[in-house]
Formats: sequence, C-alpha cells, structure tokens
Amino acid sequence: MKKIECIACGEKNLSKNTIGINKKLLGTDIKNFYCMDCLADYLEITVDDLLEKIEEFKEEGCTLFS
Amino acid sequence: MIYADNAATTKLDMDAFEAMKPFLLEEYANPSQPYSFSRKAKKALKDARKTIAECIHAEPEEIFFTSGGTESNNWAIKNYTVSSDIHHVITSAIEHHSVLNACKNPYFGHFMIPVDNYGTVKAEELIKILERPREAVASCESTLVSVMMANNEIGTIQPVRELAEIAHAHGAWFHTDAVQAVGHIPIDVKAMGIDMLSASAHKFNGPKGIGFLYSKNGLLQPFHNGGSQESGMRAGTENVPAIVGMAVALKKNIAQMKQNTVHLSKLTEIFLSVLHQADIDFILNGQPTDRLPGNINISIKGKSGEGLMHLLDLKGICISTGSACDSVNQQISHVIKAIHVPDNYAEGTIRITFGKENTEQEVLKIANIFIKIANI
Repeated sequence: MKKIECIACGEKNLSKNTIGINKKLLGTDIKNFYCMDCLADYLEITVDDLLEKIEEFKEEGCTLFS
Repeated sequence: MIYADNAATTKLDMDAFEAMKPFLLEEYANPSQPYSFSRKAKKALKDARKTIAECIHAEPEEIFFTSGGTESNNWAIKNYTVSSDIHHVITSAIEHHSVLNACKNPYFGHFMIPVDNYGTVKAEELIKILERPREAVASCESTLVSVMMANNEIGTIQPVRELAEIAHAHGAWFHTDAVQAVGHIPIDVKAMGIDMLSASAHKFNGPKGIGFLYSKNGLLQPFHNGGSQESGMRAGTENVPAIVGMAVALKKNIAQMKQNTVHLSKLTEIFLSVLHQADIDFILNGQPTDRLPGNINISIKGKSGEGLMHLLDLKGICISTGSACDSVNQQISHVIKAIHVPDNYAEGTIRITFGKENTEQEVLKIANIFIKIANI
C-alpha cells in the first residue's frame, strides 16, 4: 500500500484519522495531505480543534476514521 | 460564535421567556382541573389560542396545539378525514421528511409533483396529477394535496393560494407545511384557501417542543386517544408555558415582520455582493425573488459543502450544508437533486439563514472568512 506523506513537512505514514480529517475538511477527492500539525497551521486552528472534530465524526459513524 | 442557521432553529425571544416563567414556577396548575388555581392556566391557554388564530386569520377553535412541525405534518397527512377508505396524498418532491416519510404508508397512494429549477411547484404539474384517470388517483374526495409554504433548504415560497384553488377545484383538500413561513411572511389561511397548516414555535423565536396545526372543522381524526384536551383531538395535559411562549413570540414576530424583512434582505444582499466581488464561482439556489428573507442557499463549484460547514464551525460560525459524504456514500439532499443543481456544484452546497439578531458586521465577518475558506 502506498505510504502517504505530508505535503508541507514530509512526515511519513500519515494515520487513517489524519487522512480522514484532510478528506472531510478539504474534500474526498484531494490528492495531497497534511499531517495534523501542518493541517492545523494551514487552517489557522489548533490540533486540539481537529482532534475534537475527529472524535465527533467517529461518533457519527463516519467511515473515513478508524 | 456567530449563529447563522436560523432555519434550523431560532433563539428564544426574551419576552416569550418572561411570559413563560410564571407558568413554570407559580401558575403550574393543570388547566383541565375545576378548582380556582387552574383559572390562570386555563385563561392563558384560551388567550394564546386566540392570539395564534389571529396571527394567521383563523378561528381559535381551528388551532390545535402539537409538539411541533413534525407532529403537525404527521397528523395532517395520516389522520385527515375522508369518506373513502383509500387515501391519496399529493406532495411536492421537495417537502420536508416529516411529510414525505408520513406518506410512506401501504394504504396511501403517494404522488409527487416535480418542481422547476427554482424549486417552484407549477400549477400545471399539479393539475396533471389531479386529472389522471380515476383508476390511478381513485376518488378525489380522498385526496390531500400537501405543498409546503416555503422550502426549508432553498427558501422558495410556493404559490399556495393558486395550488389550493386547484386542489379544491378537483375536490381535494389542501395542507401546507408552513414551518419555515409562519412568523416570517404574511399568512391568511382564509384568503389563501388553506384547509390545514403546520407550524413550529422554535422557528419563530418561540420555545422548542411546541407547535400547532390549523385545521378547518371536521377535517381531522383525533391524533391519539385519552382525555378531552384540544376538543378531544389531542389528548394529554397541555404544555401551558410553551404555548404561552409560542403565542408571545409569534405575535411579536408578526408585529416586526416588515422591519425584519427589510433587515434580512439587506444582510442577504451584503453577503452575496461580497461573494460576487471575490469572484467565487457559485449558484444561488431557489427562487431569486419569491424566497424567505435571510435564506441563502448556494452551491460552490468543486467544493465540499460539508467541509465548508465544518471549517466555518472551526472558526466559530454556525451554518448548514446540503450534502454529506464519507468514504462510501455521497449524499446530496433530495431538494438539491430535485432542482437539478449540476453535479460539480451540488456537493458544495451550503445554507446560511440569517436571523433578526444578526448584524451587518457579523455578515461581513462570515463572508470574509467564507471567501478565505472557499479559496483553500
């Protein structure tokens, strides 16, 4: 399986949740992904904001998250 | 936090809250009891019913208190009185799910009227269905036409008066889900020829969990059985504080309707002009002129509406979306599908619904953050 890395800092092996939050917020058909830190920077929010969102999506049963 | 999702719910009006308080704390008597402690509660119910009836030009005995819009819609559709045992319900394709799902009944024939690209029900489309051979539609006497007064997603206001007239000319009854319209646009049930009308208090700055169904005498079967409340049509002790709050909120909204409409129209204009100036590629969904004040439903090319909604949420702005997706499913709302929004725009659908408390500064803030996010 192809390893996905952060387009900004190059961090390797992004987790399913990280890829999921990228898709959920930026669109399911995106080709490039950010790690959690870089996504938070890019969106001018905090990593905690993203983690809270991930938990909400999981509770809703969204299949993008593990 | 900026709240711009007033089609979902509205903030409770402070006067409504103050009017409710005595009936929560001091005047808590059951209005059905014969002792003098119940007098104030009984009178409050009577006064609220009269106020609400006046607000839509109905008679007090034609107002039945319910738990809200969903119950009112279910009651109207499932329990309208007919001489035949075969029920036929004709709805538009863009009704709320509380109407569409109420029609999923093995004993009902359900016919859907298509809408045009603005979400408007055309008279000729209703006539086509009403004039189908009797084998298909059976007796007109058992037919109910249910078309919402204004759509909850795209804000399109339907030509209810014309549709009701057509329904009556074909021997059918006319119900309208006016949940988004009551307290926001003028309603005269008599002049508009409406037989039944559903409303929900929390959409017009009243409390949640209360609404009403207007019904001309003799059209309805009881909603459920029990005591003699609501003329025996809806048994169960009345929610007096909520009913009082609903009446105060509705009366106040109607008194302020003109100024609210002017204010909301200005906010809408500001928001859309900022988006146009920023060259955002979007479609404004719904009827451009005959629409609810403050309703903005737009589809942005190549974007995810759900993503935009969550990004705005992360910036402290509450709006709604017309699509949702995960790795498996792409769900575009039935309304957006019915008005044929092009595929490359449909997924990027969001709904912003301003309320009377939103300010121009808030609208500009939303617009500017939105532009930034839409360009990500």
